[in-house]
Amino acid sequence: MARFIGRRLVYLLPVLLAVTLLTFLIASLLPGDLAVTILGDQATPEKVEALRAQMGLDLPLWERYLRWLWGVAHGDLGRSFRTGETVLAAVADRLPVSLELMVIAEGMGLLIAIPLAILCAVKSGGALDRFMTGLAFGKLSLPPYLVAILLIYLFAVELNLLPATGWVPFSEDPITNIRSFVLPGLTLAFAEWPVLMRVLRSDMIATLQEDYIAMAKAKGLKPARILLVHALKPSSLTLVTVTGINIGRLIGGTLIIETIFALPGIGRLLVGAIYARDFIILQGVVLFVAVGFVIVNFIVDMLYAVLDPRIRHGRA
Amino acid sequence: MSIFRLRTLGCVLAAMALAGGPAHAQKQGGTLTVGLELDIPGFDPLKVGVYDTSQNMAAALMLETLVRLDDNGKAAPSLAVSWSHSDDFKTWTFKLRPGVKFHDGTPFNAAAVKWNFDRQKDPKNNCRCAFYISFINSVDAPDDLTLVYNLRDPSVNLPTILTIQSSNNVVQSPAAIQAKGDDYNRNPVGTGPYVIKSWTAGDRMVLERNPNYWNKDKVYLDSIVLRPLPDSQSRFASLKSGETDLVWADEFEADNIQRAKTDSSLQVLSYAGSGAAVNVFNTKVAPLDDVRVRQALVMALDRKKYSQALTNGLSRPARNPYGDGSWVQCKDDGALPEDPKKAAELIKEYGKPVSFKMLFTATPRGRANGQILQQFWKNIGVNMEIEQVDQATIPARAFQRKFDVTPWRIVDFPDPDVQMFANFYSKSPLNLANFTDPALDKALEGARLTPDEAKRTEFYCEASRIINKDATWFWTFQNTYYAMAKAKVKGVPKLYGGVIDVSHAWLE
Repeated sequence: MARFIGRRLVYLLPVLLAVTLLTFLIASLLPGDLAVTILGDQATPEKVEALRAQMGLDLPLWERYLRWLWGVAHGDLGRSFRTGETVLAAVADRLPVSLELMVIAEGMGLLIAIPLAILCAVKSGGALDRFMTGLAFGKLSLPPYLVAILLIYLFAVELNLLPATGWVPFSEDPITNIRSFVLPGLTLAFAEWPVLMRVLRSDMIATLQEDYIAMAKAKGLKPARILLVHALKPSSLTLVTVTGINIGRLIGGTLIIETIFALPGIGRLLVGAIYARDFIILQGVVLFVAVGFVIVNFIVDMLYAVLDPRIRHGRA
Repeated sequence: MSIFRLRTLGCVLAAMALAGGPAHAQKQGGTLTVGLELDIPGFDPLKVGVYDTSQNMAAALMLETLVRLDDNGKAAPSLAVSWSHSDDFKTWTFKLRPGVKFHDGTPFNAAAVKWNFDRQKDPKNNCRCAFYISFINSVDAPDDLTLVYNLRDPSVNLPTILTIQSSNNVVQSPAAIQAKGDDYNRNPVGTGPYVIKSWTAGDRMVLERNPNYWNKDKVYLDSIVLRPLPDSQSRFASLKSGETDLVWADEFEADNIQRAKTDSSLQVLSYAGSGAAVNVFNTKVAPLDDVRVRQALVMALDRKKYSQALTNGLSRPARNPYGDGSWVQCKDDGALPEDPKKAAELIKEYGKPVSFKMLFTATPRGRANGQILQQFWKNIGVNMEIEQVDQATIPARAFQRKFDVTPWRIVDFPDPDVQMFANFYSKSPLNLANFTDPALDKALEGARLTPDEAKRTEFYCEASRIINKDATWFWTFQNTYYAMAKAKVKGVPKLYGGVIDVSHAWLE
């Protein structure tokens, strides 16, 4: 197992290097010049040149990348020229919000998807299965921002049950904190569950046709035990993959959902940085999201190995 | 007590209520939650450069200006109590309010104002804010309570120009700026009626009443919460559901504004400001170098239809650069008639095919604007190509004159001089149309040098007639600023410059 982990870790390094290089290239390809952004449109060309030199913006791209990388390797991701905050502080401020949203959204999605998938798989082709398939496809074609507005209209404006916007730290008021995550969490879960349900359902149908399930049935085990203990675990490989990808995606916050519900997460930080041409924050956040994504994928690989011992031994 | 006497008493009470006056009961206490559009990055001019409307609104609560605008748009005392000027309007002397202290306890005085000014002006500090004070050569502080502005250009109306809660005009504590360094940006210290109690980035800023405020009898709310709510639909939902008491709005939210108007629990605050959304023709490039083409393009517009298509008819058509909200009101502003037939004839007379590009922001609004104009101009046989660019690209392209037609804005401002001179004077670096007309220069110089409002109006109306006739710029819609609030919110002054100032508001 240790060797397996070690091998995977070695793969991580080039991935991270490639990601940071790409981030850097994209940020430098964006229209707009940091020096002009700071000095304003009316600045004289001489002043812009002077500031560019002072900030090292006149250096060739590769040299700037290496300098930036050197800083990152020493834990210095830079400081926003606009707010004076360090990138690390800005991300640390916003991260708990996005993480909590991610956990709640993914949890809600799984909570809806797993029972439905099992029920559909048991009676595949039955009335419930066909209905859920139709519903899942219908749901897939409803964009989250529309769901968000509909949920706000129903629960915040009409019923006045849940807040439409806002957030308080969990440590300050846990109940308000959870309440403010219900609608955004539900919005994201609504987008997630059809996919999760569909993959688990088809894997489950395949598993249920395996000989050992027939054997378990023949032994007279209770159906619930067969499904939950014998069938669920081997059927969940794809589910874990998809969940992992989703989590990776949600680490970066969700630009639209955080904007609609006014949650101060990573997504809002990113949007703000883009609008303000705050390249230093932008670069830092993208780097951070990329690293998060890579780590989650790494954990998913680990989970495969736990779920299916054949993978550990490289014979899958 | 007879019924008659009771009724008389009732009448007297009603009359008193109508007359307002001292019976105007401002209620003390309570919390007001305000939904802004944008996140606030901070308040240090060297960091953030120029404040946007969200920053102006927050600044209005904690930081103060020397002068404020009263209900008639005239200069009224704030941190300065009186002012006078030299005969040539190039030197202005302000007497400051004694006994005022910053939130950190250090004294507010002339040296503090000068320190703020010098810091922004210093070329070493590379402040984006420096451009907007380039017309001021220096500020002197001969004693604690006297402040002298030495101007490069004469300004007959300087005090009103210093009223906007901009990064240039608000006075911040020199001691705090020096002590806090990089951290000052998010911990501003001023003299205003409220101080920051807590501020969570991206979520909310909580302000509490300043117990030592110099004018604390006029401050009613215990606390004010500012929340950035970037999505207009959820901002309106938060007002409806009671999470906020007042929200920023603009005319692109026409549906919500209409709904708020018909909802008895809500009120719509709107302010018909001066200025307008405008567009500039680059008169140095063909075919826009021909006055007939430019006139035709202006006459092809139908602003009523335009407004209907863009904002459900909320946008107010503009005829000149001043607007209904300005003190400049012309009997004859020389606006060209909206006459597509005549426009088509002018294009025919020009004889060659007319085709050009126009810049728009890369937003849905930019696209909508472009498509509407494209349609108007297609009707008179003109081909306009939409070029959508990033918001930040437009000023850059405009300053380099790399455009055929570009959108621009004349913002609501207490005096027309600053923007009129910048946009239309032939030698101004911002003369975007590349157009020179000695008569126009003369009108602008005349308006700049006389303090008499009637005479200035005459000069400005002359300028409007010239610009309209030469059709070097054209105006689409006047500036209208909006806020939506719960009906119980009172005491919000006119939304000058689009700033919703709740520093002296109360809850009924």
